Amino acid sequence: MFLRNYWYVAASDSEIGRKPFGRLILNEPIVFFRTEDGAPVALEDRCAHRHLPLSMGKLVGDRLQCHYHGLQYDTAGRCVRIPGQDQIPSTAKVKSYPVVERHRWVWIWMGDPALADPAKITDFHWLDDPDWGAKSSYLHVKSNWQLVVDNLLDLTHLAFVHETTIGNAALAEHAVVKVTRAPNNVVVTRWIIDQPAPPTFVKVGGFTSNVDRWQIIDFVPPAFLRLDVGATPTGTGAPEGKRVGGITMRNLNAITPETEKTSHYFWGQAHDFDVKNAELTNKIFEQIQTAFYEDVAVFSAQQRSLDLVADPPQVDINADTGVIQARRILDRLHDEEQAALHASAAE
Amino acid sequence: MKFRVELVWKDDDETAASSIYLTADGRVILQGAAVSREERERLALPADGAMISVDRRLIRAIKDML
Repeated sequence: MFLRNYWYVAASDSEIGRKPFGRLILNEPIVFFRTEDGAPVALEDRCAHRHLPLSMGKLVGDRLQCHYHGLQYDTAGRCVRIPGQDQIPSTAKVKSYPVVERHRWVWIWMGDPALADPAKITDFHWLDDPDWGAKSSYLHVKSNWQLVVDNLLDLTHLAFVHETTIGNAALAEHAVVKVTRAPNNVVVTRWIIDQPAPPTFVKVGGFTSNVDRWQIIDFVPPAFLRLDVGATPTGTGAPEGKRVGGITMRNLNAITPETEKTSHYFWGQAHDFDVKNAELTNKIFEQIQTAFYEDVAVFSAQQRSLDLVADPPQVDINADTGVIQARRILDRLHDEEQAALHASAAE
Repeated sequence: MKFRVELVWKDDDETAASSIYLTADGRVILQGAAVSREERERLALPADGAMISVDRRLIRAIKDML
């Protein structure tokens, strides 16, 4: 299941340059490059002639030249040169996609281009805000994109998958969780009061006694999860909104489906303390990255397991509440999108 | 403190329904107002058993979220 009329993260800004770069998104092969002015371009990664991926070609000025027979395409996907032939068939073109560069990521619109409003891009300003220290990265995931969304909406797993970094038993046994569902949004708020800090928090926050810890997960469809996480010494008023003497971080996640069974996972970590300290930014990033590698191993194993049996029954537990709400929103949005497509096809 | 989950459903206009609680011992607890003896008599409701009245948004929340 894919939702098409949405902006997705296609690449980090540094991945796209003057060398054509191919990536599969929602099962569509796409080639990215920058014009001589630096603007990102996205075209169908398949020559209209004999279907060689255009990402194997090269740029001639702002034209993308196919590696096979030298057909050249402009930034709108129109073939503008065929070697040895003056007349260019009107069908000699490839699909072009709206793209926008924002928050160190290049975003792509996978649906009807007429609906591609950049104002709909989900806010990830923490990645390039001077008031925050931040670092981002990319992981290739061998699982359906919804397994990653599920993972981030239920952080009980931190106690088991990430016990050496960001998790401890308190997360699963002593948390108070609030799940707020709006029509197109789920917020999961979890407080862990007067419990030991997990290893990563001890390393970067210097906690020596129990903490009040929060995890506020903001889910925006189709697959954006912005986590507000942190801790303060216990009893200092964080649950009432007084965050003093502790640490606050943002864990930022954008998942882009590659196929039904593989995903592109763009993520970043931002912190609002000692923001110019690059060494600290790296230290925090490396701790979280270690945890994310552990998650990626879980996703792959889940997908392999799911591949063995189609739609196996599953048991839901209390901690799944946020996951279930998000899945219902996604199912409804998919139904609505399909209904609109069928209606327009019938006109 | 044990693990417990509170569910809140919000309408398009951001109006929230009252809460649903899932507790560690497996119960679903609804937030509502107790129905008094006077109300039971006035509304011809049974006199026995605990009763609460809930707003209609909570019913929508139960249908959508549980």
